[in-house]
Amino acid sequence: MTLHITLVKIEETKISSDKAKKFIASEKNGAECIFVGKVRNENAGKKVTGVTYDAHDQAVIKSFQSICNNAKDKFDKNAKIFLEHVKGYAPVGEISILIAVGSGHRDEAFKICRYILEEVKHGSPIWKKEHYTDGKEEWLPGHSLRPKKEIKL
Amino acid sequence: MEIELRLYGSSKILSDKDALKIELPNNSNIEQLREILSKIISKKHSKSNLKNLSKTAAFFSDKNEVVNDNYRLKDKESISIIPPIGGG
Repeated sequence: MTLHITLVKIEETKISSDKAKKFIASEKNGAECIFVGKVRNENAGKKVTGVTYDAHDQAVIKSFQSICNNAKDKFDKNAKIFLEHVKGYAPVGEISILIAVGSGHRDEAFKICRYILEEVKHGSPIWKKEHYTDGKEEWLPGHSLRPKKEIKL
Repeated sequence: MEIELRLYGSSKILSDKDALKIELPNNSNIEQLREILSKIISKKHSKSNLKNLSKTAAFFSDKNEVVNDNYRLKDKESISIIPPIGGG
């Protein structure tokens, strides 16, 4: 198996970098690239306590499969890819997304990792609601999946 | 007719539940759903940051694919509203 994708319900379990490293391990790998995205304590001058991630589960899995398969087609058909993203409330410091790639060479490993991250941000139906130290909360703006030419504000 | 609008992301401000029942004239399409949604937002949620949601949102059919504004809705159909996304 060369592809692992999961939407992790954070009340049930957490994203594990050890699990990711084990999954991509192979003697064929000349490079292993791991990206870990975390919830940080500040955004746009506001002090953040945590982020609630909402997701359209089925569409997220479908998009993850498509993104990872495109990455393999584009950069390295033999790459091993591990992709997990959380759903639910994640406090500051928690891993929100982990992408691990095992490939024959460093260039492909870096490119696949970056490609997957950007595509997930722009194509996977996931939303973030930030929670602040003053008790307020806010859904963050994002990228519309409606064709740009149709949007007339 | 009535449809079920399944709520995600910022659209969850529209209801305490996961979905909203919306009354529409028979044979309505997504464009008409956008108009009704815009009215609901201006009436009940004008102070929220949902002002542009009816224009910026996409809609998923039960096949989890974006449908265009000409897509005809059926009575009792369940459709998902997809506000602008941004995970990671």
